[in-house]
Amino acid sequence: MKILVIEDDATTGGYIAKGLREEGHAVDLIAEGREGLLTATAGSYDVLIVDRMLPEVDGLTLIKTLRGAGNATPVLFLTAMGSVEDRIAGLNAGADDYLVKPFAFGEMSARVAALGRRPQPTELETQLSAGDLTLDLLTRKVTRGGQEIDLLPREFALLEFLLRRKGRVQTRTMLLEGVWDLSFDPMTNVVETHISRLRAKVDKPFPNEIIRTVRGAGYRIDG
Amino acid sequence: MKRLWRSTPLRLALALVVMFTTVSLLSLAASYAVTRAAFEQSIRDDLAQDLAGFRAAPSARAVSFLVQAESRDTDPGRLVLSYVAPDGGIYGNGAVARDDEGFHIVSLGDDGATLGNEYLALSAKLYGGRLTIARSRAEIEALRPVFVNILLVSLLPTALIALSGGVILARRSRRHVEVIRRTLERLTGGDLAARVVPGRRWADDLTRIGSAVNEMAQAQEHSVTALRQVSSDIAHDLKTPVQRVSVKLEELAGQVDGDAKALVVDAQHEVAGIAGVFHALLQLAQVENSNLRERFEPVELGALARTIAEVYEPSASAAGQRLETALPAVPVHVRGERTLLGQLLANLIENALRHTLECSTIKVSLWQDAATVTLCVEDDGPGIPEAERAAVLQRLYRLDRSRNTPGNGLGLSLVEGVARLHGAQLSLEDAAPGLRVCLVFKTE
Repeated sequence: MKILVIEDDATTGGYIAKGLREEGHAVDLIAEGREGLLTATAGSYDVLIVDRMLPEVDGLTLIKTLRGAGNATPVLFLTAMGSVEDRIAGLNAGADDYLVKPFAFGEMSARVAALGRRPQPTELETQLSAGDLTLDLLTRKVTRGGQEIDLLPREFALLEFLLRRKGRVQTRTMLLEGVWDLSFDPMTNVVETHISRLRAKVDKPFPNEIIRTVRGAGYRIDG
Repeated sequence: MKRLWRSTPLRLALALVVMFTTVSLLSLAASYAVTRAAFEQSIRDDLAQDLAGFRAAPSARAVSFLVQAESRDTDPGRLVLSYVAPDGGIYGNGAVARDDEGFHIVSLGDDGATLGNEYLALSAKLYGGRLTIARSRAEIEALRPVFVNILLVSLLPTALIALSGGVILARRSRRHVEVIRRTLERLTGGDLAARVVPGRRWADDLTRIGSAVNEMAQAQEHSVTALRQVSSDIAHDLKTPVQRVSVKLEELAGQVDGDAKALVVDAQHEVAGIAGVFHALLQLAQVENSNLRERFEPVELGALARTIAEVYEPSASAAGQRLETALPAVPVHVRGERTLLGQLLANLIENALRHTLECSTIKVSLWQDAATVTLCVEDDGPGIPEAERAAVLQRLYRLDRSRNTPGNGLGLSLVEGVARLHGAQLSLEDAAPGLRVCLVFKTE
């Protein structure tokens, strides 16, 4: 993907650019708001990563201007605030997702991937599958290798969420937002316990595991 | 009404009415006196004129004839003539003869229908007889009712109009002062966006006070905003270096093994802890900003509590603890901010999970009555000693026995802040054994 990073802090910006390049993306890095806005408008990027506090033109204004000009490139908004108000301000300005500093690279990489390939409309799909696992959305049945697996409603929802985003890492906070509609970080590892319950039913009785742990980032189901 | 009487415009109106009435009474009295004197003088002149006419007669006899003739055509109610001739004969239309010369006021009693009232009489000796001419003072007496009427017609309406004007002005001014008072009340309550909006008909002095209040509020709002900006800036300035440290630690983690790697992982945990404290402090600063109330929406507390309990249930059972809920089947709504209320519940449940042992039970309950919604999180752990219950709400406070459990001492402060933002009453009670934390929301 072609990604533009607009971040005034050289260490953070360099780190994001380096990491994303290692993952195979083409990355441009700009440290100032006005130039960032010009570059974003001129080039055709798949994803923009925009810091809130920037010299010249701040992040919120940049996103608003961009959206005002009809540019719909997905934006990941970086903020050091992380309060409800800042989150809503970012999303209202037109950002698609936001990330609170300090963040782990895995979290950011997962969110960039999610933005770059926004989920395709899948309303017509009635079955999701990965390997020998099948989830039927109509009968609400899950089978693996011909064997039916009994899941609680929320376990079903968690598995469905991961299957719909097959091949992409989902972080703990993305799962909390997507499955439970909770936009805050719990202190303890609550998501892990849900995943391990799901794994006990979906993976443990079978020779190979479908739900992968991605170190420092989250979970992924491979296709 | 009592407060109305004490208002400035009504007092001014009353004072003006009293002053105006006094001045009017005085001037009316003065004009009455002057008019009366003028009338009296004119009667005296007439009497002198009359007397001069009779003096022109050549003899007592002629005077007698004249008096007799004049009396026939004269209404004794207006003019009384009397001449006592030297021979003792009495002529005229009334007995007002006097021995002394000059002007007198005489009262011709009730002895005749036509004779009443007072007369001004002039007596003089004439050709050995005594002539007395008396003119009625009825005209002068008639002045009194005239002046009383003038008083009634002019003074009473004026006083009434002035008084009711005063009442109207007092009412209006009370409304205007009330606007200023309410604004000040809102400002005191922390709503720094409150402003006095003067009406078009406001008096100048009130408008000036209003703008002074507004300027004061503006200044206060500026300094509070500046303060908030400073804390946001500090958070930003410190979070960025923390981000750099975590970036470098992550790079380092990829380059070392063994003991060094374990150290790096430890350092990463510490950095995450620092970031957590900043985050919690920012959240605290945020809930102290009452502007959030403008974004309040109905939040279904039952569903929220169910979701949060569901999120934590596997963690509880993994630790051998039980997480139970007692939630009503019907929706329970309060006005609030869902994310913050979720964070509040999560903090309470995490606290309970953290500070109780295996086999303990944590219960989340919710119920609603006529005017309140109550949300409680209860555990059967060691509880909090009564003396320390207020202290645990303070920032960064930790019980001695909790020093070695994870947490930064900000969880309950945030609970307290979120409760205050929502106008909910927070209480920490002894669940015998254990701790019960309850929030009582008012529903209108």
